[in-house]
Amino acid sequence: MGDVMRTMQQPSLAALVGQTAFMPDSDVSESICLEIEGLSKSFGAFVALNTIDLTIYEGEFVCFLGPSGCGKTTLLRAIAGLEPQSSGRIVQMGKEISHLPPQQRDFGIVFQSYALFPNLTIADNIAYGLRNQGHSRQALQARVHELMCLIGLEGSEKKYPAQLSGGQQQRVALARALATKPGLLLLDEPLSALDAQVRVHLRQQIKALQKTLGVTTVMVTHDQEEALTMADRIVVMNHGVIEQIGTPEEVYRHPKSAFVAQFVGNMNFLSAEVCSPTAVMLGAQRYTTQPHAFENKRPVHLAIRPEEVVLTSLGQASSQLEARVIHIEYLGAFLRLTCDVTSADVQLRVDIQHSEAVQHQIQLGKDVHLTLPAASCRVFRQDGH
Amino acid sequence: MSTLTTSRITGLFSVNQEAWVKLGLMLIALALMLIGLVFPLYTLLLKSVQNSAGDFIGLANYRHYFSTPSLVNSIANSFFIAIMTMCLVVSLAFVCAYGITRTCMPGKRVFKVLTLLPILAPSLLPAISLVYIFGNQGYLKGLLGGESIYGPIGIVIGMCFWIFPHALMILVTALSNSDARLYEAARSLKTPAWRTFLTVTLPGIRYGLISCAFVVFTLAITDFGVPKIIGGQYNLLATDIYKQVVGQQNFQMGAVVSMILLLPAVLTFIADRWVQRKQTAQLSARAVPYQPSPSPVRDWVFALLCFSVAAVILLMIGTAVYASLIQFWPYNLSYTLRHYQFDGLGGSGWESWFNSLKMASSVAVIGTLVIFTVAWMVEKTKEFGLLRQWVHLFAILPMAVPGMVLGLAYIFFFNHPSNPLNILYGTLAILVLNTLVHFYTVCHLTSMTALKQLDPEFEAVGASLKVPFWRTYLRVTLPTSLPAVLDISVYLFVNAMTTVSAVIFLYGPDTRLASVAVLHLDEAGYFASAAAMSVLILLTSVVVKILHAMCTHLILKRSQIWRQR
Repeated sequence: MGDVMRTMQQPSLAALVGQTAFMPDSDVSESICLEIEGLSKSFGAFVALNTIDLTIYEGEFVCFLGPSGCGKTTLLRAIAGLEPQSSGRIVQMGKEISHLPPQQRDFGIVFQSYALFPNLTIADNIAYGLRNQGHSRQALQARVHELMCLIGLEGSEKKYPAQLSGGQQQRVALARALATKPGLLLLDEPLSALDAQVRVHLRQQIKALQKTLGVTTVMVTHDQEEALTMADRIVVMNHGVIEQIGTPEEVYRHPKSAFVAQFVGNMNFLSAEVCSPTAVMLGAQRYTTQPHAFENKRPVHLAIRPEEVVLTSLGQASSQLEARVIHIEYLGAFLRLTCDVTSADVQLRVDIQHSEAVQHQIQLGKDVHLTLPAASCRVFRQDGH
Repeated sequence: MSTLTTSRITGLFSVNQEAWVKLGLMLIALALMLIGLVFPLYTLLLKSVQNSAGDFIGLANYRHYFSTPSLVNSIANSFFIAIMTMCLVVSLAFVCAYGITRTCMPGKRVFKVLTLLPILAPSLLPAISLVYIFGNQGYLKGLLGGESIYGPIGIVIGMCFWIFPHALMILVTALSNSDARLYEAARSLKTPAWRTFLTVTLPGIRYGLISCAFVVFTLAITDFGVPKIIGGQYNLLATDIYKQVVGQQNFQMGAVVSMILLLPAVLTFIADRWVQRKQTAQLSARAVPYQPSPSPVRDWVFALLCFSVAAVILLMIGTAVYASLIQFWPYNLSYTLRHYQFDGLGGSGWESWFNSLKMASSVAVIGTLVIFTVAWMVEKTKEFGLLRQWVHLFAILPMAVPGMVLGLAYIFFFNHPSNPLNILYGTLAILVLNTLVHFYTVCHLTSMTALKQLDPEFEAVGASLKVPFWRTYLRVTLPTSLPAVLDISVYLFVNAMTTVSAVIFLYGPDTRLASVAVLHLDEAGYFASAAAMSVLILLTSVVVKILHAMCTHLILKRSQIWRQR
């Protein structure tokens, strides 16, 4: 189900990345909110986090993205003090918090399960942390009302969590976490328990709320779309290490490793051999690529995204690949072709628009010509990095 | 490096007051378990290798035990009784549990309520009834064909009566935890019913069945009340302890028998824990519960079987009630309430009932608070892993310790002149502590189950909002677990009301309990008064149980809004 959804919304993915590229973030300041130095965490022999270094700026929205078991949740829990690190330092707003218990750190947290207190009303849930701070009754009620309006649930004060929908519960959890005005908001897979449509809607709401309040936010997710659409910067993690830190566009357009390339978006990997600093040999054919640092004769992967492959007419451009369409997948807004390359024993996935399909009379068994633009041809090591 | 270590340690301890509070609570729990369980048992072990003067004599007591045939015989007797009881109870309970869960037999609710009754009565009650039914002047004596009820027959029947509900509950749970889709799959594959039973039903409940057998065995081998009343000359380990200690004042031999009785109880306990662990992994969360469809012949056969069992239960209880209400069996059958006045019986009368009530209420209130809080510390705190493991182990352990053994161990530990705690001896406090520890395990496990069902992040949310952990405990954890908490308190109350084995060694002149009074009245030949006191205990438990049901109903109704899923 999740996979289907991810594939279905593929076109919007690339589109959204494009948008953010033209919107440099003015809200993100240069002052550091959180600094993590050499953070490691092991459970017995298993290394969950391996010397993580990371700086998070004030007002920033950072996503930890990675497959399950990559250490992203462990990192979040270490920041919260819920899962103390084995070694390393965490400094928040210039103050070392590495060994402080959670109650002495400055953060609000929303869990995947929301962990709303089922026996308390919505208002009591939101006021839970406020009660401790010696507010007057009026001030407390005013703050609760303000938060209820903020999440668009005014009038539901007397209800219990079980009477709300999943999305509403999620917003209450958010309000509860924000009530005490924490300097840092931690979100642990906050949207993964929701229906696909609610998820998309809440994605925008949370992002807008975060912009309005300007609260530094760290969100853990395994959903690349969520990360690409919400984050100012994405921290891609795998096997307890950070693979890449960058804006959504950097991560999508310029993945630093094969792992990032295939985890974020789709990517074709073709076995090739280096023949110059800007070209590789695919079989007997030479392809110009982005500049790379591999030595000659080294076996590498030539990587290109399905939407970057260009379908051309015969005799139009150089570096053409002859291929035959062996499978057509209908994905709503676009078509994904699987093409068998004639000159080499490889298959290539190609995303094309409906208009192109009509123009080139695409059908099963059709011979096509494909161009791999040099700007889109990345080169990666073959052992996965 | 050294500065890093220092900063970490000071960071952990100077700043985090909550951790100190947690540590304090945990240490109190540990102290409670050491004083209430570990030290007494250790003293008992010591006593078994000492002579009456207190000198260490190695295994001489054990050698003496095993060279005395009248004592060694009890081992075989105890095993025989326990295994007989196990076979009978497990098969009966299986039939009834199957009737409840897998058929559409009529009167399920009534049957369930009736099968609960034996748990609410002291185990002495069935023994007393059996004397009236099959004793020398019993009204069904002819059915025994000349055999005496005083001996193995009486013991087994009596034990079956009061152990049956325990077995039934385990098997009903095991049979309820079934996945209907397995049966649908079997039916769609055209599997005959007998094969479905062998390949789906039995494997599905095998752990429940094994666990049930273990529980029945342990209860039977450690029970004291039934054989005390109806055992006659047939000696068992549990009654031997009593005879050695109370009859012959031979404390060392009492300790030896206790150690021997402890062995099978501990072994079955370990085996049961092992089986339980396997069972938890069995049922997936997505299983669909099985719904039986009507089948007139099967339903009526099971109804007949189940209500025969229920009839026997009613007969036993009815006999005790009847015996307590007539002048003098079998010569004067006119009704009277005279036996409920307990005239001239001193501490064995109403005073003992009030003592029991005080004791049971204290155990219910204090015990529930202590046990649930300790379980919460074990389940929900992150710090002090090793300490938590020890507390958890000590919380599970009491189940393996038979009541007689625990009671004797308390004598040795608390009655020792050099123990400052000996001021407790003979007070209500020691009875409360003993009963609390005796029935600790089931309550601890119930609490853990209830706590595991709560969202694991409640504590983290509380901490992130800078609310002290005890406030989250009182405002969220406790209220959401209220039904389980009530279950625990009523379990403790009923058991404190009915238990006789551990407290028989510990009551003082002013703290005689109702269950102990039943025993004394029976020993002294006041059979009708003994029956009356048993019925009184039963009635008390029934009333409390009804109150509990009403409370639970009210709470569930009030919290219905937020409990719905």
